[in-house]
Amino acid sequence: MLDFILPLFGRFHPLLVHLPIGILVFGIILVFLSKAGQNTHFASIRLAFLLGGIAAAVSSVSGFLQYQYEGFEWESIQFHLILALLTTAVSFWLWYQLNRGETLPPFFKIKSAVLVLLLTMTGHLGGNISRGENYLTEILPLDLQSFLGIEIEPEKGPQLLEENWENAALYSEVIQPILNQNCKSCHNPRNLKGELDLTTMNGLLAGGEDGLVLTAGDATHSELYTRMILEKDHDDHMPPAEKRQPSKEEIALIEAWIQGGGKEKGTLAEAAIPRKLIEPFIARNEVPFYPVTTIPEMAADSLAALKLSGFFAEGVESGSGLLKVSCINFPGFQDSDWTMLAGAKNRLAYLDLSGTKVSDSILDSLGGMPNLTVLKLNNTAITGKSLEKLALLPHLKLLYLNNTGVNLSQIQDLTSSKSFEKVFVYETPAAGEISNAGKLSLPFLVESGNYTLPKLATDTIVY
Amino acid sequence: MKNLEKLFAELATSTLQNQTRRHFLMDCVSKVGGLAMAPLLFGCEPDKTVKTPAGLQLSERDLNPLAPLSPPFVGKAKSIIYLHMAGAPSQLELFDFKPELAKLHNQDCPESLLEGRKFAFIRGVPKMLGPQANFSQHGQSGAWVSDYLPHFSKVVDEVAFLKAMHTDQFNHGPAQLFMQTGSPRLGRPSLGSWVTYGLGTENQNLPGFVVLTSGGKTPDAGKSVWGSGFLPSVYQGVQCRSKGDPVLYLEDPSGMSRDLKKNVISAINQVNKEDFDGFGDPEILARINQYEMAYRMQIEVPEVMNINDEPEHIHELYGTKPGEESFANNCLLARKLVEKGVRVVQLYDWGWDTHGTDKDGSIDMGLRNKCREIDRPMTALLLDLKQRGLLEDTLVVWGGEFGRTPMQENREGKVQGFKGRDHHTDAFTMWVAGGGIRKGSSYGITDDFGFSGIEERTSVHDLHATLLHLMGFDHEKFTYEFQGRPFRLTDVEGELIHSILA
Repeated sequence: MLDFILPLFGRFHPLLVHLPIGILVFGIILVFLSKAGQNTHFASIRLAFLLGGIAAAVSSVSGFLQYQYEGFEWESIQFHLILALLTTAVSFWLWYQLNRGETLPPFFKIKSAVLVLLLTMTGHLGGNISRGENYLTEILPLDLQSFLGIEIEPEKGPQLLEENWENAALYSEVIQPILNQNCKSCHNPRNLKGELDLTTMNGLLAGGEDGLVLTAGDATHSELYTRMILEKDHDDHMPPAEKRQPSKEEIALIEAWIQGGGKEKGTLAEAAIPRKLIEPFIARNEVPFYPVTTIPEMAADSLAALKLSGFFAEGVESGSGLLKVSCINFPGFQDSDWTMLAGAKNRLAYLDLSGTKVSDSILDSLGGMPNLTVLKLNNTAITGKSLEKLALLPHLKLLYLNNTGVNLSQIQDLTSSKSFEKVFVYETPAAGEISNAGKLSLPFLVESGNYTLPKLATDTIVY
Repeated sequence: MKNLEKLFAELATSTLQNQTRRHFLMDCVSKVGGLAMAPLLFGCEPDKTVKTPAGLQLSERDLNPLAPLSPPFVGKAKSIIYLHMAGAPSQLELFDFKPELAKLHNQDCPESLLEGRKFAFIRGVPKMLGPQANFSQHGQSGAWVSDYLPHFSKVVDEVAFLKAMHTDQFNHGPAQLFMQTGSPRLGRPSLGSWVTYGLGTENQNLPGFVVLTSGGKTPDAGKSVWGSGFLPSVYQGVQCRSKGDPVLYLEDPSGMSRDLKKNVISAINQVNKEDFDGFGDPEILARINQYEMAYRMQIEVPEVMNINDEPEHIHELYGTKPGEESFANNCLLARKLVEKGVRVVQLYDWGWDTHGTDKDGSIDMGLRNKCREIDRPMTALLLDLKQRGLLEDTLVVWGGEFGRTPMQENREGKVQGFKGRDHHTDAFTMWVAGGGIRKGSSYGITDDFGFSGIEERTSVHDLHATLLHLMGFDHEKFTYEFQGRPFRLTDVEGELIHSILA
C-alpha cells in the first residue's frame, strides 16, 4: 500500500540536495568572517554544521533511493554517491570538532575550504547525471569548445540506403537532418538565435522574431530557403559565411520540399525527388578490398628483413598488418625460397610471383593463406596441375595466370570458390580454348585478351 | 550596433597606432620563443632517424628515397599513365557534341559569351564555328565520340568522361604547369613527383617516374611540368629519349667488364661516403643513390625500353614502328614500364594547338592527323592493360591543358585561312580509366555552345584530389613542409569527384 513512499522520497532528491549546500555554505561563510580571538558567530557556525550534516545525510539517503528505484546505473552515480557520503561525514566531523571547544579549532578555515570543494564536486557530478555532461559546455561558442578540447561530433546529414531510398520520409529523414547539419548549432531550443528553432517541425512552423520562415508551396517566399540562396557575402545570407555551407543538392532538396507543401509526412517517391539530388546521401556500402583483420602492423625489423632478402614489401595501407609482397626485383625466387615468406603467411594479401622460377609445387605452399586477395603468377612455369587448390583460398579475388600453361578445364575447376572475381589467362592454352568455346558461364570473369583493332581506312588517310 | 562597430574599429586603430617598435621587440622576447616551442609541443612524431658520424639526423627515407612506402589507406590504383595532349585538343570535335552550335555556324558570336572575357587571340566579335566532326553514340554507355577517333569509340565503356573541366589559365605554359603541378607558377612539384614521393617505387632498378615525349617538341612549360619543385630532386620525372637509345651509355664501354664497373662504382661511392661522413651534406647521399640506381638500371632498362622484342600482334595492335619517335611507341613503352613496377609514366604529345593559322593547325585537317596518331595507340594501350589485368590497378588519364572556343579564331581581327579555335578555359573534356574508376560514366554538362559547364563542373584541383584519392591519399592531408608552411598538390582547394569513382 505504502510502496510509493520510498520512491517518492527518492524523487525529492533534486529538492533536498540544495539544503546542505545552502546551510553548509552559510556556515562556511561565517567561518571565514570570524576574526581570530572573537567568538561572535561560533554558536551559529556550530548549528550550521550540524544542520548541514543532517541535510546532507537526508539528501544522500534520498539520492540512494532514487538510484534504487529509477534505474540509474551504478557506474554513472558511483562517484556522486561516494562524494556525497564523504561530504556528510566531513560535515559531522567538523561539527564534532566544534562541539569540543568554545573557539574555532586549528586550521579550521582550511578544513572548511576542503568541505566547499567536496560540496562543489558532489553537486557538479549530480548536475552531470541529471542534465548531461555537456550541459555547461554545449552553449559555449564552437571555437571556445574546440579550444577547450571538447570533441564536437558533427551532425550527420541525411543517410539513405541504396535499396529503399524512395521510401524514406522526406521531412524526417532528409530535410530535418539537413537542417540539423547546417542550422541547428544556432537555431535550437537552447540557443534560439533570432528566436528561431529549426530542430522540429513545430519550430519551423512557429518562425522566428521576424515572423514565419516557411510558406508552404512557395519557396521564393520562404525565408528558410531564400536566405540560403543569397550571395554568400550578403548580410542576410544563412548560414553565416564562416560556417559550413549547404551543398547545392541540400538547397535544392529544401526548395523541393517547400514547393511540395512543406509537409511533415510523405516519402521521397511521393514528392517525386529525382535520384540525382539524393545521390550524395546514399550510403555507399563499400566493401573493403582486402579482408578486415586484427593482425597488428608488422614489426619494422621483420619488414626490413623481408626487403633485405629481395622482396618488395609494404603494408597495404599504413598501420595495416596485411602485406603487399612482390618479387619484382627477385626473379631468382623459387619454390624452396618459400620458407622466407612462410612466416608472414597470414599477412600476405597481395603476392606477385610473376616472372620467377616457381613451379606447380608452389601451389601447395600457397594453399591455406587466409588473407590472400591478389595472386599474380604471370610468366611462370605453372602448368595448372592442381590449380584447384587455389579455389580453397577464402579471400582470393584476382588471379593472374597470364603466359602460363593453364588450360580451360583447370580454370573451370576453380568454380567452387565464392570469392573469385577475375582470372586473367592471356597468352595461355586456356585463352585459345575460350576463343573457340565462345561464351562461358563461370561465376567469375575470365579475361583471355587477344584484343585486336581492325585496320581502318582512316588509319592511313593523311589530310 | 553600427556605432558600436565603429567604436571597436577606432579602438583597434588607436591600439595599433600606440604600438611602437619597442613594443614589438619586447613582444619578440616572449612570443618568438613561444613560436619556437610550438613544434616541440605539437609536432608530428619524427621519422625514425639514423645518426651519422657527422652528427646529422637522417631518416631511412634520406638514405633510400625511392624505397616503397605504404599508402595512408588502400588505394585502388598503384600506378598512373598520364597522356597529356600538349597544345590542348578541341573537345568540340572529339567528345562534346553540340548540335545547337552547328546551327549557329558562321553567325556572329552572341554578346553574352564575350562580355567581360579575355581570350588569347580572339579580338572583337568572332564568328561561331560549328562542330567539324560527325558524332555518334557508342558502347553501352552511349557516350558521344566523333569519327575522328574511330578506334577509341569502341572502348568508351572502359572510361569515365569529365566533360565540364575548367581551368583558369589560357596560355599553354601556365596552363600545363597548372594541370601538372596544381599551380600556374613555377616551383611546385608535379603530380608524378608527389605520388613518387608518397609511395616510393616498386622496382628498385628503374626510376619511379618516367617521362616520354612525342610530336617533335617538349611541352611549352618546359621540364618544370615533371619537376620536383620543393620536393627532393630525386622525385622528379626522368625523361627518356624518344629516339635511339632511350637512356644513353647503358652499354658497358668495350673492354670494360660488368665486374670492373661495379668495382669502380663502389670505389666512388666509398669516397663519397667518406665525404658525407665528414660534411654531412645530404646531396652527397643523392649522388651515391644516383650511382647505384644507374648501375642497377643497366640490368633492367635495356630490356624494358626495347620494344623490338614485342610480338608482332602487339606491334599491330599499337601501330608501333620501332626506332622512330611516336606516340604509339611511347604508349607501348608506358605499358611495359608500368608492368615492370614504375609508379608514374607521363606521356606528352605535342601538336594539338589548332588555331587555324595553317593546315597543321586546322580543326578539319591537322586535328584529324593528330587524332590518327593517337587513336589506335591509346585504344591499344587500354586494351593491352586490360588483357594483362594491369588496368585493375593502373590509372590512365587523358587530356590537354585547356579546351578550345566554340568560336572561329580571328587573330588580329582577320579571317583565318583555316578553320581553327582559340584557347578556352571554361569547358573542356578529359577522360580517366582504370583502377577505381566507374566504367562508362560521364560527369559534367556544358551549355548548348559547349562554352561553359552548366552542371557538374570539375576543376584541375578536383581532378588531382580524385587521382590522389585513387592512389591512396587524402589530398588534404598529403603535405610537404616548405618555407614554413605545409604545401599540398591541391593547395587549398579540390573536391573528390565521387561520381566517377567505382
